[in-house]
Amino acid sequence: MCLTLCVCVCEIVIVFRARSVSQVPVAEGKSVQQTVEMLNRKLEQLGAVKQGNFCVDCETYHAGAIGSPGQPPKFLYVMHNSEAPLSCFALFENGPCLVADPNFDVLMIKLKSYFQNAKSNKVESRGARYQYCDFLVKVGTATIASSARGITVEVEYCPCVTANDCWNLLMEFMQSFLPSHVPGVPSVFGVKTDGVYSPSDTMAQYLELFSKLRKQQAATGSGMR
Amino acid sequence: MEAPPVAVMPVTGGSIHMMEYLLQGSVLDQALESLLHRLRGLCDNMEPESFVDHEMVFLLKGQQGSPFILRARHSLDRPVAPWHLRYLGQPEVGDKSRHALVRNCVDVSASHSLHDFLLEMGFRMDHEFVAKGHIFRKGALKVVVFKLFRILLPGNTENTEPLSLSNLVELSVLAPAGQDTVSDDMRNFAEQLKPLVHLDKIDPKRLM
Repeated sequence: MCLTLCVCVCEIVIVFRARSVSQVPVAEGKSVQQTVEMLNRKLEQLGAVKQGNFCVDCETYHAGAIGSPGQPPKFLYVMHNSEAPLSCFALFENGPCLVADPNFDVLMIKLKSYFQNAKSNKVESRGARYQYCDFLVKVGTATIASSARGITVEVEYCPCVTANDCWNLLMEFMQSFLPSHVPGVPSVFGVKTDGVYSPSDTMAQYLELFSKLRKQQAATGSGMR
Repeated sequence: MEAPPVAVMPVTGGSIHMMEYLLQGSVLDQALESLLHRLRGLCDNMEPESFVDHEMVFLLKGQQGSPFILRARHSLDRPVAPWHLRYLGQPEVGDKSRHALVRNCVDVSASHSLHDFLLEMGFRMDHEFVAKGHIFRKGALKVVVFKLFRILLPGNTENTEPLSLSNLVELSVLAPAGQDTVSDDMRNFAEQLKPLVHLDKIDPKRLM
């Protein structure tokens, strides 16, 4: 099959919480939407061409009825990525990842008495998809229950499947449009035994980001705007 | 790079109302060749496909009475092929004149991490077996003739012994709920296999 993808997902840039203003070169009072538009404009100035939109979503299932009492509850995450529209990804945090076809969602409905869908925990990231030479950049607004919580930036270097071989190139490219906020090496790069990247690594990175967002939301309470 | 732009949400979910219509029978080893010969004549594919599959049946025990059963199957002779996960509901109790067993069916193709993933979900393997046989198609009808092998050492699919001196024959169709003409087509096809094999609807509950 054609080029498998090597992807890096940047950390979230949250705009109007005081603690992360230092990481972002924007003026006080800029909203999530304004920052996303700013990033999109920067990419267009570089020469990137917009190619439609993307969406990554994550639903949380709570394993209620199983497991021995006293054990911490298990969370099963079911994710979808518009880049792989005929697939469904199911993951446990720091556990195995399953890539299945969309009927897996139907199976989760059958399992509803064992795994409850925590609908209020659904996280989605939607935005524009840009192509720049061999790179694909997706800048998305991450929302939890329809309220914007942050920004995700996914950068993909398409010709390469060996994660560690192109990390430096990815970092250099990101510096051209994310001036002050370039992330560290994603943890999934470190645990690869054969070094070959796969779509489930992308989903693991998104899950890490979404979990961070959820924790931040829980810590700071509701209102963000 | 021809990745198409995606402007709409991905297609999610499948049909929750797919039903499996099933008729089963068996033939002794001596009669297998005659049956395969007749099926070659009646069915679409000129040369039947042979398969060697390893199936594991997983149970999830919850607070409810009966456990949730899932069947995970993978090919031993085509190791690159995806794993196949199957959920089968209880047989529909209804029209006694309906010729086939009808039950809800959900089929999911999955990656090779399925076994570990099911264990992480809390499923435990109840039993496993190897199935070797042939698969025939006639339109939407699927006929599978196979022999079951018992696995002597757990996890070791090389070391097996036949479960019996016969082969299981299954005639099945996957169709949306409510299409009762399906069972008539199945009955007509089953008539053509008599007297080599008698295919009937066998309620699994009566065997327990």
